[in-house]
Amino acid sequence: MSALLERVQAFLYQEADLADRHVYSDWLALWAEDAVYWIPCNDDDADPQTHVALIYETRSGLEDRVRRLSSGYAHSQNPQTRLSRVVANIRTIELPDGLVEVRSVCNITAFRRQIIETLAARVVHRLRPYGDGFRIVSKTVYLVNNDGYIGNMTFLI
Amino acid sequence: MSNTTAADFGNLVLRDRVHGDAYCDPQVFEREIDGIFSRHWIFVGHEGEIPNKGDFRQRQIGRQPVIFLRDQQGQVRVLMNRCTHRANAVCHLERGNAAGFTCPYHGWRFRLDGELASVPYPDRYDADFDKSRLGLRHARVESRRGFVFATLNPDDVPLDVHLGALVLAELDDIADLSPVGELLINAGVHRVRFVANWKLMVENAIDGYHANPVHRSHFENVRARTGFDPAALTTSSSPARIRDLGHGHCAWDSSSIIAKGTRNFPGNRPTETAFNTYRNALIERHGEARADHLLTKSGSHLYIFPNFVYVGAHYRLMQPMSVNQTWVQLFPIMLKGVPQEINTRRLRTHEVFYGPAGFGQSDDIEIFERNQIGLSAALDPWSLIARGIHLETRHEDGSISGQITDELSNRAVWGRWRELMTSEEDAA
Repeated sequence: MSALLERVQAFLYQEADLADRHVYSDWLALWAEDAVYWIPCNDDDADPQTHVALIYETRSGLEDRVRRLSSGYAHSQNPQTRLSRVVANIRTIELPDGLVEVRSVCNITAFRRQIIETLAARVVHRLRPYGDGFRIVSKTVYLVNNDGYIGNMTFLI
Repeated sequence: MSNTTAADFGNLVLRDRVHGDAYCDPQVFEREIDGIFSRHWIFVGHEGEIPNKGDFRQRQIGRQPVIFLRDQQGQVRVLMNRCTHRANAVCHLERGNAAGFTCPYHGWRFRLDGELASVPYPDRYDADFDKSRLGLRHARVESRRGFVFATLNPDDVPLDVHLGALVLAELDDIADLSPVGELLINAGVHRVRFVANWKLMVENAIDGYHANPVHRSHFENVRARTGFDPAALTTSSSPARIRDLGHGHCAWDSSSIIAKGTRNFPGNRPTETAFNTYRNALIERHGEARADHLLTKSGSHLYIFPNFVYVGAHYRLMQPMSVNQTWVQLFPIMLKGVPQEINTRRLRTHEVFYGPAGFGQSDDIEIFERNQIGLSAALDPWSLIARGIHLETRHEDGSISGQITDELSNRAVWGRWRELMTSEEDAA
């Protein structure tokens, strides 16, 4: 395994662990100031300027998401969804601008109120080297069911 | 309930309270499908979803699968998705564009207007075989300002009677938000589902009383970002009103607390230039007074019985699946004739609150699911809708209004529900 792939893998595993354990502020700290977090709706190729998204957030939206989840008043995460995710099939591409594009897949098992569900997605990160690790410049999550009827998806993906 | 009669359904709703069976009893649900969804006007979609000839969407009327489409003449139709031969679904895609529908089973071909065009090997039918009588079956369809309604009941009242002048005026105020009077429904759809009765979402759509406890986490975000406190809209001292528009239709008018001529884009305000371009285009079309009326009112809500909701930047199509399963589609409304930035801001504003990962609707849905649990506790089976019952105001236009935290809309909806559920005409 290349040194880059090893560092990227460690970073993605850390992100996944923080999301699974609902450690909201540490998860937010992984994102760059100019971050964009996008979960397309209906169609993987939809243009977010003209097509609704499940999530399309810049840094301020991410901060609002985390503030809400931490407020104690987010009913849809009270109780919190129990989460366990697998991140796999990681590939890296070094981009000319110094960012690293990371392609992976993610399978999330989610349990809440006696119902266990699976979410599955292709994920594309763009990471900016930062100290020994990275900051997330963009993350796009292509859910297999992004055109389906979806229940509670208020936990971190 | 067993051997239920129409009168029994009527006993579930009093003027100030509703019995838990109205949300929990499968027999009630069956009666709703037969007596409301299959016998009266329901909302099926907006013409903007199917702008081109051959565009189609699958929909349901009650539990019946239908195709909502624009035919080769440009006419909007609602056809039963059932081959007239052996009942296979002739349309298997949820949406798309087609020149016609060919049944995959035995190859019967139907035109977009439903006419049967051809069948394979017709020589084995006798002389009585009449293709002109074997077209796909139609629902009655009418639309107002692009909003399309259908009924399976050939004897139903005209759509304008069902909607009434007050609802028609509300639809004008929605469609006229576009400076050319045309809404574009081309920005996709949020689909959400929940484990609760569909009427819990109906009640919630025009319910000011829930907003501050349920949406506190979102309102605190808005306050932190903008300094604007949305909670002020939904206290008992707010000047905002709820209106009963007749036939179970209701509206929530928040314009009294929105600064005149502004648009409510909390956290996602467009640039001054884009907003002024938009406002000036509205003024050119409608004059300053109506333009400002439209903008100020654009954060309002409208509910059309039984399955249509309009809130802010989207309309909603509710689909009851069973007594405690509901599927909902939320279509963002794009305005034709405005700078792209305005429409993009509408999308971002919508996403913050709505959809399965939004900050507001997800909490509403959580509350519906807890409500369904609570409703099963039947020692005292009544749910109370009396708030403001002694403070209703009757208006010359036939509407009734109440303060934004009153339960006036609940009483309006349940009154209409009771009327249709107990109708003897529909009892057979």
